[in-house]
Amino acid sequence: MADALRDKTAIVGVGYTEYSKNSGVSTLTLALRAIRAAIDDAGLAHGDIDGVACHRVGDSVQAVIVAQALGIRDLRYHADMFGGGATSTQVLISASMAVASGLADYVVCWRAINARSEWRMGGTGRAAPDTVEFQYQVPYGFVTPPQQFAMYSHAYMHRHGVTAEDLGRVAIFQRGHAMKNERAMMRGPLTMDDYLASRWIVEPFRLFDCCLETDAAVALIVTSAERARDLRRRPVLVSGAAYGGGHTLFSNQRADLTTTAARELSTRLYASAGIGPADVDVAEFYDAFTPLVLMQLEDFGFCAPGDGAAMVADGATSIGGALPVNTHGGHLSEGYVHGLNHVAEAVAQLRGSCGDRQVDGAEVALSTGQPGYVAGCSSAVVLKKGS
Amino acid sequence: MSASERPLPVPDRDSLPWWKALVRHELLLQRCASCDALRWPPRELCNRCGTLDWTWIPASGRGTVASWVVNHHMFGPGFRAPYVVVAVRLDDQDDIVMPGAYWGSGDGTEDGADLAIGLPLEVDFDDIDVPSGSEPITLLRWRPARSMAP
Repeated sequence: MADALRDKTAIVGVGYTEYSKNSGVSTLTLALRAIRAAIDDAGLAHGDIDGVACHRVGDSVQAVIVAQALGIRDLRYHADMFGGGATSTQVLISASMAVASGLADYVVCWRAINARSEWRMGGTGRAAPDTVEFQYQVPYGFVTPPQQFAMYSHAYMHRHGVTAEDLGRVAIFQRGHAMKNERAMMRGPLTMDDYLASRWIVEPFRLFDCCLETDAAVALIVTSAERARDLRRRPVLVSGAAYGGGHTLFSNQRADLTTTAARELSTRLYASAGIGPADVDVAEFYDAFTPLVLMQLEDFGFCAPGDGAAMVADGATSIGGALPVNTHGGHLSEGYVHGLNHVAEAVAQLRGSCGDRQVDGAEVALSTGQPGYVAGCSSAVVLKKGS
Repeated sequence: MSASERPLPVPDRDSLPWWKALVRHELLLQRCASCDALRWPPRELCNRCGTLDWTWIPASGRGTVASWVVNHHMFGPGFRAPYVVVAVRLDDQDDIVMPGAYWGSGDGTEDGADLAIGLPLEVDFDDIDVPSGSEPITLLRWRPARSMAP
C-alpha cells in the first residue's frame, strides 16, 4: 500500500554539532553530541532511545558502537546503511518503518562526518568500499564526486542549453539564504562576477558549483505520531516516502544521462503522501552540485524538463518565491552533512522556527536525497506540519 | 608519469577476462545467448531477460561522445592537469556508456576544445607502465574517428 506510512510517524527532535573544517574529534564524538542535543530538543530522557540508524561510506562510526556508547541495553532496531547522499532520507524512512511496525519506539537517525579534516570524498583517489565499478574509473583519474557529477551535468546542460550563468544563479540564491542562517559556513555575499571568476575544478564545474566539505553531525529522533503528541515540540509528520530509482554510467539500461531518479520516484512519493507538487511549500533538494537543483525542480514536477533554470532566474526558488528551495543555504553554503541537514531544515521550517529565513505558512516540505546518479539509487520524503 | 604514482585498476573475478583482453588490444562485450542484448560491465546475468548463458564478442570499437569533463583540480597523484575523461556511448548498443581517456592531440595534453557531444570516436589502447612483476595493464583511450566507414 502506497500510503501505509502516511502520517504514522513523526520527527520530534533535532540535534546539531557545530559546523567546522576541523572538528578535532572523532565521528563517534560528533554522533554522540548531535544525538544528545536531539534527545534534549525532544524533551526525552537518555534511556528512551531504543533504535539507531545511520548512513556512511566507510567514513564514520558504526551504528552499533553508537548504540553501545548510548548505553542501550536492549537495542530493538539498528540500521547501518552503506551509502552517500542518496541514502540520507532512506535512513529516516527505514526508521519510520521500524517505528510504525512496532519494532522500536524512539529511533535516532544521524550522519556524523569529518568530511574536511579526516576523509574527503574520493579526495585521496581511493575508492569507497563496495564500489566495484571504480576499477573502470580509477585508472583514468575519474573518481571523485565533482568529476562524476560534472560528467552527468555536462550532458544535461547540453541537452537543455543550460549556461554557466544558470548554474551561478543557483549558487547565488542559496548563498542569499545562507546569509540568513547563523549556522551556515558561508555567510558572505556571492555575486555573478565572483561565481564566474572562481577557479575551474572540473569543467563544467567552478569552485562555487561544488558543495562544501564539512566536519559535523546532525541527528533526528523518530517516534510514532501518537507518542509525538505528548512531547515538547510540535511534531513534524513523515507523510510520504519513496526510495529506489537511479542510474549510473554502468547501469547498462539507461542511455539517458540527463534525468534523475525523481522521474520514477516522484510519482510514488506524491502518491504515498496523497499530494502533488503544487501542495509543496518548501523544498530542500540534495545539492552536492548546482545542476542537481535544476534537475530536481524538473523531475519532481515543479516545472517542465529544461525549465529549471528559468524558474531560478524568475526568483521562484528564493524565500518569498513560489517554491523556496534550500532555505538553509544547502550543501553549497550551509554545510555538508550528507543530506541530513536538509531534513533538519525542513523540520525547522515546519516548526516555524527559522526566523529571518522562515517560509510563511509552511505546512508541507519536500526533502530529497542525492538524485540517483553515481549512487544508482535515491530517496525522498514529504514532511507535514503536525498538530 | 612514473608507474608507481598512477592508480591501477583492480579487476574482480567477473571483469578479469575483460581486462586481459584489453592487454591483447581487444575490447569485449558480453552478449546474451538468449536475447542477444549486449552488456558491460561484465555481469553473469542478462538484465533484460534473466538468462545466465552468454558469450564474449568483440565490440566495434566505435562510439560517440555522450559527455566529457576537463579536470583542472589535482584530484590525486599520477595525472597532469588539465586532462580529459570522456564517456563514450558505444555504437554497438546505445545504452552502453564507457569512461576512458581522450587522446585527441596524441600527446596527452588535452583541454577538450576539440570535443562535442555526439562526436564520433574510435578506440585506441594504452599499454601503461606497471611496477615490475605486476600483471600488464592496458587502458582505453579514445580518439576522433578517422573514418565513418564500418
